Amino acid sequence: MDGGVKGLISLQDMIKEALGNNIIKIEDNKGYMDVVVPLEKLKESAIKVKQLGFDHVKSVTAVDYIQKKQFMVTYHISSYLNEELSRHVLGLSTFIDRDNPHIPSLATIWTSAEFQEREVYEFFGIIFDGHPDLRLLLLTPVVAALKPLRKDFVVKEDSINIEVDYAAYNATKWW
Amino acid sequence: MNPCYYACYIVYKVIVYDIIFYPPVYQFLIIPGLITAIIIAIFIIWFERKAAAYVQMRYGPWEIAPKIGGAIQLLADLTRYAMQEIITPQTVDTLQYLLAPIVMVVLALLPLEAVPLTSVKPYFPIPSGYSLLVAVAFTTLSPLFITMMGWASNNKFSITGSVRESFMITSYELISVLGLLTAAAMTRSYDLVKIVNLQMSGKWLGLINPIALFVVFIAVLMSTSGFPFEIPESESELVAGPFTEYSGLLYGLNMGGAYIRRWVFSILITLVFLGGWAPYRPTPGVITGYFVPSLIVSLKAVVIMGIMSFLRSVYGRYRLDQALGIAWEILIPLALLAFGIGLTEAYFGII
Amino acid sequence: MEAGTISSGSGIHLPGMEIAKASKNRYEVMIGPAHPGSGHMRIFVEVDGDIMVKVDPDIGFVHRTMEKLAEGREWIQNIPLFERIAILDACNITLPYVRAVEKLLGIEAPERARYLRTLLCEINRVASHLYGMGIFGVFLGHSTLYMWGFGDREVFIDLAERLTGARLTHTYPVFGGVRRDIPDDFPEDARKATRYMRKRLNEYAKIFLNNPNIRSRLENVGVLTKNQAAELGLVGPNIRASGIRYDVRLNEPYEAYGDVDFEIPVFEEGDSLARAWARVEEVRQSLNIIDQVVTWLEKHPRENFMHEKFWKTAPKLYKDVYEGKISYSPKYRIKLMPIFASLKVPPGKSFARVEAGRGEIVYYVESNGDIFPYRVRVVSPSFRNVIAFKYVMPGHRLMDLPAIYGSFDYFPPAFDR
Repeated sequence: MDGGVKGLISLQDMIKEALGNNIIKIEDNKGYMDVVVPLEKLKESAIKVKQLGFDHVKSVTAVDYIQKKQFMVTYHISSYLNEELSRHVLGLSTFIDRDNPHIPSLATIWTSAEFQEREVYEFFGIIFDGHPDLRLLLLTPVVAALKPLRKDFVVKEDSINIEVDYAAYNATKWW
Repeated sequence: MNPCYYACYIVYKVIVYDIIFYPPVYQFLIIPGLITAIIIAIFIIWFERKAAAYVQMRYGPWEIAPKIGGAIQLLADLTRYAMQEIITPQTVDTLQYLLAPIVMVVLALLPLEAVPLTSVKPYFPIPSGYSLLVAVAFTTLSPLFITMMGWASNNKFSITGSVRESFMITSYELISVLGLLTAAAMTRSYDLVKIVNLQMSGKWLGLINPIALFVVFIAVLMSTSGFPFEIPESESELVAGPFTEYSGLLYGLNMGGAYIRRWVFSILITLVFLGGWAPYRPTPGVITGYFVPSLIVSLKAVVIMGIMSFLRSVYGRYRLDQALGIAWEILIPLALLAFGIGLTEAYFGII
Repeated sequence: MEAGTISSGSGIHLPGMEIAKASKNRYEVMIGPAHPGSGHMRIFVEVDGDIMVKVDPDIGFVHRTMEKLAEGREWIQNIPLFERIAILDACNITLPYVRAVEKLLGIEAPERARYLRTLLCEINRVASHLYGMGIFGVFLGHSTLYMWGFGDREVFIDLAERLTGARLTHTYPVFGGVRRDIPDDFPEDARKATRYMRKRLNEYAKIFLNNPNIRSRLENVGVLTKNQAAELGLVGPNIRASGIRYDVRLNEPYEAYGDVDFEIPVFEEGDSLARAWARVEEVRQSLNIIDQVVTWLEKHPRENFMHEKFWKTAPKLYKDVYEGKISYSPKYRIKLMPIFASLKVPPGKSFARVEAGRGEIVYYVESNGDIFPYRVRVVSPSFRNVIAFKYVMPGHRLMDLPAIYGSFDYFPPAFDR
């Protein structure tokens, strides 16, 4: 795996050289290279990374850190057309505020992020500014208003009292 | 005893000679009419499913009567359709919705009134001077009611299906009319009895002019939703095309209606191209002069329908504009070529 | 599509209903969830005459909230949960989850376990491709291909049952290794299966791929150029049919793929016919891999297929079952270890990707040292292919929709998760 390690080190250098002082932290996690950038520099870092040859987004993930009152949004990016870069996965992360979650949308830079950003919007309530078509993808509006994947949404389990459960079910029914 | 015996004899004569073997009634209802058409449809649909199943490594109809290979499966299906409730949705035009399938089936059987099935004079349904032309003209009436069905159903899929059917009508009708009238070009008459008599000596028109037979065969496939032209009722795109909103016996009529139209076309093809009742010369008398020739014609038509059914397991479905392209760019020149060959053969006295 | 100032004359208004202005000359066809040709999704199509102008996939009818459920279940309980993303391909779908957690635990599976995982991955890949070709046949009205695809798939489902004990829900890879070894008479049956399938592939080519009817339906339909495929981020045989040479087994070899030799079929045309050919050629390559792996497994002695760190905590009964000393239990299997229940994974973030039948599946796993995962993010291959509906379909005729849909090999439960 020597070539792999050498490849990773040179990838780190390449990223450091391209992004310069945008980087807060860069580390090699298990399976991908994590690059943390501040929120204001997200869009220009993305443009610079795209110019290096990374041409598609594999996944857009949001993680809810409820104690620190932050969301972390990670874009896992890789390349199809560039042989050397397609062996590595780059993770472009940023931290945003939990009470006012706005983040510039990268769907205009990478088309492959369009549907994934819609999914993160409906599950977490994070608003992507500048997204061409931001609406719900998987959920119905009633459920999406509850912002399901946040940590403060607890899935209610059925109790022993069937009357209470049925009353609660009737209260949230909209048809 | 004598008046009772005489009365029974009168009743027998009336029933047999004036009702059952009265040519218009016999040809419309018995052979090759409604009863035979239903029996043949039952048999052919079973044959189609069984042949497709053997190609596809499975059994096909099996549960109902395993010892004879599930042959009466279709009777069970027909009973199911007959017992099902006919639901009329509120948003359809009720009169057209209910009438269109019935009229379609009745008009589909109409060409049988015009063809003679024997050469013995008392058993012609209409004077046989122009019988080929009248029969071909009658075949063009029935498909219009599929369009009416789709419009009355008030449903986007039905309308799309019936518009596709109307596109197909404009293309296959010309081909089938030209192909069938090639016989008129070759034999210099529209009289079906004369056409069949000219084929008695083994010179079947299908063998002398095979292009015409091929062209008419494909036109019949296009007209009756046979694979690869099963476009109006394509199941994976429009749920059932114009037949979407139907349930119960009307649905059975729709599905069987395609096979009934195919049966009528097969009778026409048999009479024109495959010699009709050819090796057998009818002699006067009900049984030898009417019943037996009609059976021979029916048997030949069943063979043609079997060949059409077998294509189901080999082909997929064409796209609409590809099917129209085939009709206008390939088949119509071929039909004109067949017509020309027919005229040439008539000129040189081959037939 | 927001609610505009449109006169709400007659008509009910339910919460969540969207009102949009209809444009002239456009006919809206909804190929809906209860349709024989749509799977469990709805496709809004706006048609101008016969040409599709705007296609909008409406997914989410089979959403089973897997990512939220995973945060409430233990690590080992998530393996059967994630299998149901695409149950046809069970080993391929759960393998990246197992690999990601193994990276966090810091262990690697022993060599025999790697070859066993590869074997089941390839069997599942063949079954998944045959399923996809069957559904493709249904969309085009070709019922023979449908029956043949599903009938031949039974051969491979049977092999998988011999290996793991279940036809579809294998749950075969676990942290540290696999759960069973191959039975004694498995190699000849595997070779019989691969010989049979190679003969059948020629029949498939004759009746479907070289059938002039189907060729005219599929050639130059849904053409996807190389740059477009890379820009949209599609996966699987869809991009290999457009000229991109990308396969996770080649670019980042995992399990035993570095040691077997196989080829990646790449086509240049990018139309639906090339995608169908890419799948058929991939099945052929998978059969080669199965042969090689079975030969390796036969030659090498049966050694341990579970990592030492977990195996040494197993009680004596497990070791007896493994060696076959218990009469009522078959040999060479490892029951579920007690240590897997309430397993605590060290904190960290990891990422793993694997080439499933339909494309590349990625997992992002984050742990904070608890017995439950903190966040699991799964992006299935069909989810990344949905975007092709919006960008590839417009400009084609309405009757081309099943041809393109079937050639992309969607599986709605996979993208709804």
